[in-house]
Amino acid sequence: MTTEPSGTPGAKAESDSSVEVSLFEVHKKIQVRAVSGIFATWRWILVWFTQLLFYGLPWLTWNGRQSVLFDLAQRKFYIFGMVFWPQDVFFLAVLLIISAFALFLFTAVGGRLWCGYACPQTVYTEIFLWIEQKIEGDRNARMKLDAAPMSPRKAMLRGSRYAVWIAVAVWTGFTFVGYFTPIKVLWNELMVFSFGPWETFWIIFYSAFTYVFAGHLREQVCKYMCPYARFQGVMFDPDTLVITYDEERGEPRGPRKKSLDYKAQGKGDCVDCEICVQVCPTGIDIRKGLQYECIGCAACIDACDQVMDKMGYPKGLIRYSTENAIAKHWGWKDILGHVVRPRVIIYTAILSAVTLAWLWGLATKPVLRVDVIRDRATLAREVEGGLIENLYRLQVMNVSETAQRYSLSVVGLDKIEIAGEHTVEVPAAANKEILVQVRVPPESGKTGANVIHFDVKSLNDESVAVHEKATFLMPR
Amino acid sequence: MQRLLWVLWPSFIVAGVAEALFFTLINPQELYLFGEPVNFSTIATYSVGFLGFWSICAASSLFTCFLQRTPGEINGGGCGHPPASPAGNKTA
Repeated sequence: MTTEPSGTPGAKAESDSSVEVSLFEVHKKIQVRAVSGIFATWRWILVWFTQLLFYGLPWLTWNGRQSVLFDLAQRKFYIFGMVFWPQDVFFLAVLLIISAFALFLFTAVGGRLWCGYACPQTVYTEIFLWIEQKIEGDRNARMKLDAAPMSPRKAMLRGSRYAVWIAVAVWTGFTFVGYFTPIKVLWNELMVFSFGPWETFWIIFYSAFTYVFAGHLREQVCKYMCPYARFQGVMFDPDTLVITYDEERGEPRGPRKKSLDYKAQGKGDCVDCEICVQVCPTGIDIRKGLQYECIGCAACIDACDQVMDKMGYPKGLIRYSTENAIAKHWGWKDILGHVVRPRVIIYTAILSAVTLAWLWGLATKPVLRVDVIRDRATLAREVEGGLIENLYRLQVMNVSETAQRYSLSVVGLDKIEIAGEHTVEVPAAANKEILVQVRVPPESGKTGANVIHFDVKSLNDESVAVHEKATFLMPR
Repeated sequence: MQRLLWVLWPSFIVAGVAEALFFTLINPQELYLFGEPVNFSTIATYSVGFLGFWSICAASSLFTCFLQRTPGEINGGGCGHPPASPAGNKTA
């Protein structure tokens, strides 16, 4: 990395580089300079963590089936030991609320941590940038290549970059579809090239999505497409940690000879090397203050710290700080002392309350559900022995992970009984619809609707039982 | 091109939400098409459903885009550009 102040060949080439007509506006193609440092390391840790999870999870087996499978065909979502049915959509809704409040809380305390480290857009851009850099070289080399006329070498480099990008994108698309169709089935289909038409469509669709977003749209997604980026500002307050350039310390910026006493010349700590601009994935100059384009990736902090080291100045000319801390010259102790404030307390309270309720709900999620529907075709009829019969369709849903036998009984009227089968067997995580004939002597109930209850009890586990209300119609 | 994305992107998001809500509440096997039960595979029904939602939402976005254009812009083009991004108008 060079510390030569301004006018680096890189900066020149960037201003000269042709303007690319892109999807959203006339914008200069941003060639991001690679950066290393503590925050870059953290970002890579999160890239590895999230991607090992994403690419790896569908291959894990749990109880003889895929550990995480959103089985759309069977309308069941499997997440390790848990099985979610459409009736459980409530848990998904609450999970979204939890995620939203977690995001609000993190944003209020630490700014755009999500954007800078964990957002898939950031993560895939990071992976695609890494590929670009390995194939086409560093920022200067890439800008030279951009400016150079087409040549066999350029075609070869571009071609291999796109090929590797496509490979990663297709693997991502394959994995994505593998969350909805068992991935091992999909893999076997891949081996003999026999994907179903819709599987092929979605793999291509998601691959193209990844490729365009991470390869070409990049920062434009954050700037123009992301709804969160538009409103995250409302979660900020003067005590929110943001990436800040210490203007007081840095200005007046300018080049200087390392041997001279710059302070005597009236200069600040900023050597105006522009490296903070070159490493910025959204192409902004953090020295102009906080801008909505800043995704909080801290690449400029890493870059500036390296320059400060080389110059022998203290680190942190650009650093995580808060508006108040900069204005009032606070240290970390004061900043941390201001983390606890009404906004943060409220977010934390809501987040913990909703999370606890959600976990409690999950822990006590019933493992048996019964829906009773009266048969629509016949209301009531008289059968042998003068008994009155009503027909019911019982939807018995075994939400547990093992096959179960259930006993059926009915209560609520004198001498009420079920004709026929009194037990039902339901395989693991399946439902069974059974037709139940309930018979009552005519004198047992009043004319019209009578309240009765079905009792469905597991024969394997006594604690599993459902008491479900129904009505019995007694004809005149 | 940017207008195309303005139409396709928000409708994509909303179609995703609509798809999730619709098929959570309604089992695709309980649907009827022209009086006949739908007999595609479930995945096909979901996919067609999503693309259907997407196109309907896109139509709505397209209409919004159309209505946002002032009479003055009709000839010049552009879909509700905020005045702050004059650079964007040049590509339209």
